[in-house]
Amino acid sequence: MKPEDKRLTSEQVGSIVKMLSLTRDREFNCGECLQHVSEFAECQLANKPVGEIIASVEQHLALCPECREEYEALMKILKAGQ
Amino acid sequence: MQVVTENEINWPAALRASDSADQAAAVSELRGLLHAGLRVALNGRSDVSEAHLEDFAQESLLRVLDRLDQFQGRSKFTTWAQAIALNVAFTELRRKRWQDVSLDALMADGERITEPTMIADDAFGADEDRTHLVKVLRSAIENDLTPKQRAAIMGELREMPFDQIVELLGTSRSAAYKMLHDARRALKQRLLEAGITGADIQNAF
Ligand SMILES: [Zn+2]
Repeated sequence: MKPEDKRLTSEQVGSIVKMLSLTRDREFNCGECLQHVSEFAECQLANKPVGEIIASVEQHLALCPECREEYEALMKILKAGQ
Repeated sequence: MQVVTENEINWPAALRASDSADQAAAVSELRGLLHAGLRVALNGRSDVSEAHLEDFAQESLLRVLDRLDQFQGRSKFTTWAQAIALNVAFTELRRKRWQDVSLDALMADGERITEPTMIADDAFGADEDRTHLVKVLRSAIENDLTPKQRAAIMGELREMPFDQIVELLGTSRSAAYKMLHDARRALKQRLLEAGITGADIQNAF
């Protein structure tokens, strides 16, 4: 392997920095996010402000691509049912 | 059972009904809803067949029934159940996608991400603050993280699915998330100690 393969690109450093700027002392893990994401999605759909608990969902979604993918799919279903 | 609208049905009660015919009707209704939702969500994906939709709907139904006690009524029941169904389906689809990757490739990737990290200082031009940030960050990644924490962070940066990172670490999902969270907190702490504030971090990129 060439030495430069082991380097982080500027893009990757940007990703770490973004991760760190979103990091909180207390965070939801994926399981907790799943437990509350339905409430968050309904608030988003109704343009209602999100409370403190479900604000943690928003923070988790910003950091976790998998939960975000599932949230976006959920919004697709909810919008189709409106 | 009369299923008319969402507002008129108490799903948890219907799904637990003692009358077995009522209960079966509620289960069947829910299965139909999950199936329809999955169809909307996964529409257009070439890796999803009708048979997959059937499997996902059935597996989701069982998962929802298994977790009925966890429903707190903070959203509509159907929204909560759909979220679980999507989690079941996407987890399985991600697993399949990565199944095609050979074990050798995974092992190589696993080895690679546990190697010491190098960040090229020269990639960031002459901006002093940014160079300082990168220097501190590099040192923190190399010195302040455990090998597993470093592997988890590097896996994320390589856009490896989280379940794959979990497998690589040989641990549970929640333990892996905690490992990653602790790693991020450690890095952030190190930056703060080096006098780099949250605002600096946000402004740097
Ligand atoms: Zn997640």
